[in-house]
Amino acid sequence: MKLKSATKLPALLTAVEARPLTDLAEVELSGCYISDLLSDVLANAQPGVLWVTIHVHRNVVSVASMKDITAVLFTCGRKPEAAIIAEAAEKGIMLLTTPMTTYEAAGKLWKAGLR
Amino acid sequence: MSAAVPVEKKRVAAKAEQNANGHKRFKSMPVRLTGTARKPAIAPEGTLKAGAAEEPAAPAPAIEKAPGMGEKRQVSFVQMLVFELRVRDAMTSPPITATTTDSLRSIQHLMKAHRISGVPILANDVLVGIVSIEDIINALDGGHINESVEQWMCRKIVTLRDHFSLVRAVAEFDRHGYGRFPVLDANNRLVGVITRGDITVCLMHHLERRAEEAVAKEATLVATRAADEKAHRIVINTDVKSGDFESAGKLSQRMREVLRARGVAPEILRRAAIIAYEAETNIIIHSLGGRITTAIDAIKVRIKAVDSGPGIENTDLAMQEGWSTAGPLARELGFGAGMGLPNIKRCADEFTIQSELGRGTRLQAAVFLQKADTRL
Repeated sequence: MKLKSATKLPALLTAVEARPLTDLAEVELSGCYISDLLSDVLANAQPGVLWVTIHVHRNVVSVASMKDITAVLFTCGRKPEAAIIAEAAEKGIMLLTTPMTTYEAAGKLWKAGLR
Repeated sequence: MSAAVPVEKKRVAAKAEQNANGHKRFKSMPVRLTGTARKPAIAPEGTLKAGAAEEPAAPAPAIEKAPGMGEKRQVSFVQMLVFELRVRDAMTSPPITATTTDSLRSIQHLMKAHRISGVPILANDVLVGIVSIEDIINALDGGHINESVEQWMCRKIVTLRDHFSLVRAVAEFDRHGYGRFPVLDANNRLVGVITRGDITVCLMHHLERRAEEAVAKEATLVATRAADEKAHRIVINTDVKSGDFESAGKLSQRMREVLRARGVAPEILRRAAIIAYEAETNIIIHSLGGRITTAIDAIKVRIKAVDSGPGIENTDLAMQEGWSTAGPLARELGFGAGMGLPNIKRCADEFTIQSELGRGTRLQAAVFLQKADTRL
């Protein structure tokens, strides 16, 4: 059962103890995709998802933008450089960071209703 | 004594002399040769003093400084012309001549009839002298106008070779102060006469022709651009550097902006962007550098990625998902999934790849802009 409220970004923040790096909008997510391989994301991620990755390189923003990914969650407390955050903000991609591992974050997100 | 002169002083002195010469020589040129004071450009000067018949190759002058605004192009153009054009291009040919047995009176009539101010004198088809309007005036004054040319013509003749450049011809005019030069070919045969006026006319003529050519070329360019615009064609060329991970995605970003502005459907736009991005990162990760050309028209977007090596050893293997030769740095950044080429192929409506070890790889892909089905 899908909880509509839980698929909205700000509501998911608490579930993964995430901290926003950009301004967050009240957006509905279409789902979630987890991968640390950019080409895999390009091939398989759906538009409008939350992408969970450990990569904080500029190319993450490029790929996210290309696939119209709504938000990116960096795990293990990782955080990109300020210039990259600014670039994401400019392209309308929301960025968050969580101290959890990718596995933990995935479990919490699933539990919170993001399917 | 020369050993006592400091090198620098000697150099300065030599330069000053050269400038003085140059100024003297070029002072009455119709177009000033400003800024050509580079050695190759003034090479004719050295040969002038020696009076050698052979002319050194005159390279196109390098323009360092041009006088005034807007003149730069034109002056450099004329400079190119005076080095390019030869005496034979400007001279009057065949020349009006007379023989040693003719009278000065007949020369006077020749000058009047042809509106010229000097006549070369031939004996058995060999140039032996010249009679100028000044000689005619002197003859009228001295009362020997009806005598034969033989004893009154000027025998000390300075000639030019037909292959001399116009810049050298101008220098010779300045050096000798004559109004005209007989022109000889390689076999010492008189083939023409050249005056300053001939040089000016020749330059004007060529300038006009070049201007016409430029106008025609511009018209063609405008027509091509108009045709491109009509076909809604845009071409984006981007050089991609090896290892430049920071720049990855810039090309596909630009391409996406163009496609989005044209209202291309998001799925199609995404496929084209993925092709461009994967092709771009392939060049960054695997090649020595290359170039991506994106051509967008009303029908499709074509992406051509060409790199300068090292080439793919086994393209069939490279097309397999999961097979990658990416290095540790690329993998650390999330590349090297071994999905690049398969991704491109899956996104493309048309796809070809050719690769030769040691030569490079050429990838071409196209996406139709109208097709509705989505592949990703």
